[in-house]
Amino acid sequence: MITTVVGNYPKVPSLGNGPNMRTAISRFDQGRITAEELAKTIDDASADAIGEQVQAGVDLVSDGNLRWDDEITYFTRSLSGVTLNGLLRFFDSNTYFRQPVVEGPIGWKGPVSVGDFGKAKALSPKPVKTILPGPYQIAFHCQDKHYGDPGKLAHAAAEALNAEARALQDAGAGFIQFNDPVLLQHKHRFSEYRELARKMTEGITVTTALYTYFGDIDGLYPQLFDLPFEVFGLDFVWGEANFNLLKSFPSDKKLGFGIADARNTKMESIEDLVGQVDAIKMVVPMDRLYLNPTCGLEFLPRANAYAKLVRLAEAAKRAQEVLS
Amino acid sequence: MSQGLLTTSVGSFPKSAAVQQARNQFAQGKLSARDLEDLEKQATRDWITFQEEIGMDILVDGEQYRGDMATHFAELMDGYTISGLVRSYGNRYYRKPIAVGRVGRRGPMTLDMWRFAQDLTELPVKGMLTGPYTMADWSFNEYYPTREAFIMDLAHAIHEEALDLERAGAKYIQIDEPALSTRPEEMEIGSRALGIVTEGLSAHTITHICYGDFAKVFNTLINLPVDQIDLELANSNYALLDYFKGVKFEKAIGFGVLDVHTHRTETVEEVKAGIKRGLEILRPDQIFVDPDCGLKTRTVEEAQDKLRVMMQATAEVKRELGIS
Repeated sequence: MITTVVGNYPKVPSLGNGPNMRTAISRFDQGRITAEELAKTIDDASADAIGEQVQAGVDLVSDGNLRWDDEITYFTRSLSGVTLNGLLRFFDSNTYFRQPVVEGPIGWKGPVSVGDFGKAKALSPKPVKTILPGPYQIAFHCQDKHYGDPGKLAHAAAEALNAEARALQDAGAGFIQFNDPVLLQHKHRFSEYRELARKMTEGITVTTALYTYFGDIDGLYPQLFDLPFEVFGLDFVWGEANFNLLKSFPSDKKLGFGIADARNTKMESIEDLVGQVDAIKMVVPMDRLYLNPTCGLEFLPRANAYAKLVRLAEAAKRAQEVLS
Repeated sequence: MSQGLLTTSVGSFPKSAAVQQARNQFAQGKLSARDLEDLEKQATRDWITFQEEIGMDILVDGEQYRGDMATHFAELMDGYTISGLVRSYGNRYYRKPIAVGRVGRRGPMTLDMWRFAQDLTELPVKGMLTGPYTMADWSFNEYYPTREAFIMDLAHAIHEEALDLERAGAKYIQIDEPALSTRPEEMEIGSRALGIVTEGLSAHTITHICYGDFAKVFNTLINLPVDQIDLELANSNYALLDYFKGVKFEKAIGFGVLDVHTHRTETVEEVKAGIKRGLEILRPDQIFVDPDCGLKTRTVEEAQDKLRVMMQATAEVKRELGIS
């Protein structure tokens, strides 16, 4: 059983010590520090975020996506044909993203996250996963002035994502994850998603993952697991029905088991978490489980996010002791 | 007695650099609570004077003393603690309420400030509350087993506050529910909670909503248990008005004519055209002309320019159509 994270990590330290991106960005905006100084603070903060995950006992870490403003724009704004517009609410959360506007054909201009991955890999004693938005996360959050059809836009996005994934693979990335909670809002488009998934993963031989959250896979079970990803991340808190839906699971796939609520400060007990591992292990054996929060941890203050990871790692250890 | 097109504001006005700075100094322990309050009261006086000068009919206190609209109330209630920093977008952070016990009113929350503002003017000043659904949705919940139980306790607490405002003489009481439309499946709970808040009130009650999927929520929305539904209309170029065509609708509309997310000041002609579109569907006495939302995200100058345009446009429409 491997403990991991799903997405972003809170950007600023809770206790006022450590590199503070918020202060640095505000100083940069006021012209008091240079772009280089800001970049240095963000690098230091990323190192800090990786360090905290390792310290918490996470086996497969991310760089915390600290350079991302939201779950969509970091990758999307780098594509040709895209500009940015005003703020929109992200799902039903009290957080916002800047809406990309697709003005013309979108295209991959070059690596976006390869440099970030290289930095993280050099810093981390643990394996590093890289995270990209899925094609629906992009297509359905954009204002489309060009394609006139979210499917066409999603196909173009999938091609750009594949180019990025190939570049990451060439740079040594061993685990490439796509976050696509929007798929759960458009389940009827699943046949289209098969084609998108094929496109995204074409030529990728390292481990790939598709993570969904904020809902359940009712209507996508079991065909979701036909998609050419090795790991499927599901949210068992905001998609509690996933417990009952998951009657069987293919033996050549792995499950991202999202059981620590990343949208609430309430702490799960170790007993509860171990109990959930115990309940799922009849369907997915422990050696094919990734134990992780339900989604990115940036909905939480940093101290709470860290505490959740510590708790998850403790639960994984306990589960291995008592359930193996 | 006015025949309609009364003018008002949604709630917040921008804070001057001096007030902002004082709030920061207070947070760092460099300024006393008394000194901060003096500054906030002076800023409130200035905004009341400004509203009187431009001829506004129903005033607001401008919320110079509020940070986040949920956290402000949670700090004054039992059962809550306040979290570390979470990011809402860009480089903006806030502290989020955490329900750690049964929530309830410790004592009046808005009464002193409302009285202070009302004593400054002969014109009515609105009582401003954050609604139970939004309070719950924008809090972490470590106590309640269900969201509904949490929302209903909040509803009773906010009802007590509304009663106090009415007893003190408030003619207009606004209960802001910007989160209410984010989950259509919970609209019924939100509506019931709002009914608890407004039960037995004779004041004119208003709720401010930010729209989500308007088509899905429209029927519940127009039947919310308040006298006036306040809507953002300008930022969708008044497209929401189409939903009202052919619908029997007797409540009033808070008719948003200023996009609060753009720096650009609307032209008088644009605002007049918007009001006239409203008058094709609604009677003048059903329309309360106001900005789309609180103006706190604009600069003081931008907010005042926009409000002057709104006043001029309303006056011209009234003159042209002979509405007194």
